[in-house]
Amino acid sequence: MENLVQEAIQNVNMQAIMPSLVLCVFGMVLLMVSVFSKRGNTTHVAWLSIAALVITGFVTLSGWNNPQGGFADSVLFDNFATFFSMICIIAAGLTILMSDDYLKREGSPVGEYYPLILFTTAGAMWMASGTDLMTIFLGLEVLSISLYVLAGFFRDQTRSNEAGLKYFFLGAFSTGFLLYGVALLYGVTGTTKIQGIAAYVQANPDSAMNTMFIAGGLLLLVGFLFKIAAAPFHMWTPDVYQGAPTPITAFMSAGPKAAAFAALMRVTIVGLDGLQSELTSLFWVLAVLTMTVGNFIALSQKDLKRMLAYSSISHAGYAMVGLVAWNAVGLSAILFYMLVYTFMNMGAFAVLVLIGKKGEDNLTLDGVAGLGYKKPILGIALTIFLFSLMGLPPTAGFTAKFYIFAGAIKAGYIWLAVLGVLNSAVSLYYYLRIMVQMYFKDPEEDFAWVKINVPTAISIAISVVGVLYLGIVPGAVMNLAKLAGF
Amino acid sequence: MSASTEPPTNLIASSAQDIEGLLSLGLYALIATGLILILLLLARFLGQRTHSEAKDAPYESAVDPTGDARLREPVPFYLVAIFFIVFDVEAVFVVSWAVAYDLLGWAGFWQISFFIFILFLGLVYLWKMGGLEWGSQSARDQKRRIG
Amino acid sequence: MTADSSLQFPLLSLLLWLPILGALLCLLWYKAPAASRWIALGTSTAVFVLSLVAGLYSTGSAGWFLYEDASWIEHFGIRYTLGMDGISLLLIILTAFLQLVAVVISWDQDKFSALFFALILVLGTGIMGVFLALDLILFYLFWELMLIPMFFLIGVWGYKRKVYAAVKFFLFTLAGSLCLLLAVISLHLLHGEQTGVYTFALEALQQTRLSFSQEMLFYLCFMAAFAVKVPIFPFHSWLPDAHTEAPVAASVDLAGLLLKTGVYGMIRFAFPLFPHAAEKSLPVLAVLALIGLFYAAWIAYLQTDIKRIVAYSSISHLGFVLLGLAAWNQTAWEGSLLLMINHGVTTGALFIAIALIHKRTGTREIAKLGGIWKSQPNLAAFFLLFSLASLGLPGLANFSGEILILIGTFSSNAVWAIFAVGGVLFSAAYILRMVQGTIWGPCCEPFDKQDLGGREWLVLIPLAVLVVILGCYPQPLLDSLREPVSFMLRQGGQP
Repeated sequence: MENLVQEAIQNVNMQAIMPSLVLCVFGMVLLMVSVFSKRGNTTHVAWLSIAALVITGFVTLSGWNNPQGGFADSVLFDNFATFFSMICIIAAGLTILMSDDYLKREGSPVGEYYPLILFTTAGAMWMASGTDLMTIFLGLEVLSISLYVLAGFFRDQTRSNEAGLKYFFLGAFSTGFLLYGVALLYGVTGTTKIQGIAAYVQANPDSAMNTMFIAGGLLLLVGFLFKIAAAPFHMWTPDVYQGAPTPITAFMSAGPKAAAFAALMRVTIVGLDGLQSELTSLFWVLAVLTMTVGNFIALSQKDLKRMLAYSSISHAGYAMVGLVAWNAVGLSAILFYMLVYTFMNMGAFAVLVLIGKKGEDNLTLDGVAGLGYKKPILGIALTIFLFSLMGLPPTAGFTAKFYIFAGAIKAGYIWLAVLGVLNSAVSLYYYLRIMVQMYFKDPEEDFAWVKINVPTAISIAISVVGVLYLGIVPGAVMNLAKLAGF
Repeated sequence: MSASTEPPTNLIASSAQDIEGLLSLGLYALIATGLILILLLLARFLGQRTHSEAKDAPYESAVDPTGDARLREPVPFYLVAIFFIVFDVEAVFVVSWAVAYDLLGWAGFWQISFFIFILFLGLVYLWKMGGLEWGSQSARDQKRRIG
Repeated sequence: MTADSSLQFPLLSLLLWLPILGALLCLLWYKAPAASRWIALGTSTAVFVLSLVAGLYSTGSAGWFLYEDASWIEHFGIRYTLGMDGISLLLIILTAFLQLVAVVISWDQDKFSALFFALILVLGTGIMGVFLALDLILFYLFWELMLIPMFFLIGVWGYKRKVYAAVKFFLFTLAGSLCLLLAVISLHLLHGEQTGVYTFALEALQQTRLSFSQEMLFYLCFMAAFAVKVPIFPFHSWLPDAHTEAPVAASVDLAGLLLKTGVYGMIRFAFPLFPHAAEKSLPVLAVLALIGLFYAAWIAYLQTDIKRIVAYSSISHLGFVLLGLAAWNQTAWEGSLLLMINHGVTTGALFIAIALIHKRTGTREIAKLGGIWKSQPNLAAFFLLFSLASLGLPGLANFSGEILILIGTFSSNAVWAIFAVGGVLFSAAYILRMVQGTIWGPCCEPFDKQDLGGREWLVLIPLAVLVVILGCYPQPLLDSLREPVSFMLRQGGQP
């Protein structure tokens, strides 16, 4: 008892959780601020949360090249965690920027929205920095529960309700699987620490034959793959992405996905390194399946949010190619890819936020006919994001895909790269359909309702700059991604 | 702490035993589902299927069913139930601090104070949101100054 | 090989990025169409002058007489490397010239004119980048950059079936270039594993040791991209649609320049990187070239739309160019490159003449056209001149290239040459049919009686003069081509 307590006290290392701690404190303060403010007025909460994110960003960055571990080795805030945390912070920031006006338009300016985003981000950070399955689980839960609420945020809209409920049920299931997997792994290895599991695998090379161990590992993977929206665990994605408030959809496709990737990478590459050959063949199949399913179903979509949902599935597939490569290039490629994806995808969603009418029934292919002429700047921005999603140079989508596929080829997975490239070719078609509508069709609408507001414009501008910067001079950030790998 | 890091040996069965255990589990599951299936199918094939109004009615002791099947309960019950769970479960942490307060020292004290402060904020939030108002929805809405 | 680049004035970069700057300026003044017109004109004139200035540095020897090299993405060893030799020089001048023509001919473009001129200028950057890049990723970047403006030019300003044509063009060419990308990455990694130096530089990658099957695989991937662009039969089906539906400036750029990038890619990248595979593929290439030559000529003969006839004639002429490459000797290669330049000028001119006819008559159907000689003698004369040049009349542009190709081909494989002569006959058939149906015969539609206006004279006269000069005195061009071509042939190894 005495030892245990002493150990617990000595292991406290506030540095290791400082960024998420700062974020949580801000979240709670903002919750108080919003509850004591006049209902319906949330703009100041939005700006305060931006300030919170900026401060957290600085705190996070100050830990670069200064890995901090603690709490009996259950948290390790290293470069890897810093990189992913920054992705989540950027995603959250862009989300909040595009949210304020959106909430006013859709008639639900409720202040809790912003603290919930902050809590989600904090959860994502725990996932990225967790080195104990329980810490990761804790982060996953904080992230998920906030997201369930956010997905169903418009309580008077059926679609949003549906999204929230669906996400909640399926998410709860997947978390259950994950927890069961953790339990089984604990049963076999006697530890929930990732390092401990790695040591166990090293000491027992035949653990690949141990049914319970394999079952535990697979169940664990199910939980992460669900959050990543990898096929065959992608079924929730289209409905939830379509029904959730658009900024939240954008956020879900970037921040939490990156966090789940971070946890998945740490668990597999550090913890299950001994099972590399088995896992790579599994991820090979999953990556191909995911990108193919995403791209082919997206071909027939008419609703833009739904189309982007499927596109997001396929991009998870591309990113998983880096996991198959299982080498340093592949890993840093995933880091870089998630950052790029954050910019390009959130930018595209931000444009959708601007052009939607109340209820967003006009966010279809036909609804953007002639947008390129009526709103030339928005049109050009969306065009840049779509080209980036396609993976055309000189946008960041190209460098990111290049990075990913180079890693795969380097590791000898030529066919995987070929399939990935073929998939990109397929994906061209549906991205092109949007552009054809925007530029080649005569405008039916005048888009008079599109009022460009400053915060959303800022988020679009940041995304454009990000996409072009990472596309034209990616060297600096690529080096960071390289340093962030383990 | 040190005890738990070693693998609990009794859980690690040799693989032969492992498969044996799995086999019996599988067999059990098979029999269980099989039995259910057989019963359902037997009922389907052996029983007559006739439809009449009386037969289709839900069993209500020969009394005609009245009213809605879904009972409506006042929402505040749920609120209070959830408050109870929230604050009751938090007590676990407070108690676990209390039994070792001398060992944990001042650091532990500040940590639990922070924790309790967060709980307090939660209470303030609920209060402000009208969660403690006992009454109709509209009364609570009024308290929250919306609608 | 490498000139001292450290102190040199970055002429090549200026050539490349000036159009982008112009495009940005155009977009900045998008509310004033007139401004964007003048900006585009100024930019393309400046680029044309710069391209001529670049010609002054020409030494006539094989190396790069202009060369720029800078680090770009160190992480992958991607460098910003540009180089100009005799071949790129001619193609750059052609590009700059046709760009200028394209701007002038679309002067009265009033639909989103700022965007239009911006796209034309960006397209110029893409094409010139392809002709200058010596780093494979940089090359790929410009290769894709050509695609995007063309997609919009066809899709927004095209004719009836523009969406279909634009999407088809985009998907065809991009599918090809994705193969190229995969091969480039694989080659890069192989080279890196062998030497420890990860680079995309063309000259370094040429030293990579490859087994024959690897070489063949990479070669096929490269050729997939280039074959679609050229286009080699059977990858040609996007071309007639794209050419026909595109607005005139885009047609000029497509036929005059974009098709050449494919051939240029072969001689600059595919052949030198994979000489053994290239050697093995020559007979196949020749057969495909001959099939393309005849098939396209035959289809052209059956067309009723004169723009479509010219589109198919492009495929046919490019078949000639390919045949010259397949013959693989000095004369034939010089002929091929010369024919590329000539074809760029004549076909561009023909598309412009057709656009002017279309503007006056409102139709491009042979059945509805006729009698232009009577109503607009000047326009008809130009049209006739360009048609005859396209047909290969001695003394006019295409002839000089074709005869060189035929001579060269005879010396390496007489059977191919005999077939190719038959191809010339075929092209006479469809060109004459087109000319006859358009210029002579009864006037069947009442149309705008006006003959050429001032600006139209301004475009057509230089083109006509060029057509004659290129036909009568191609010597300066051949001088510029000789050394680089012989260097490349030696490098590739004589089959």
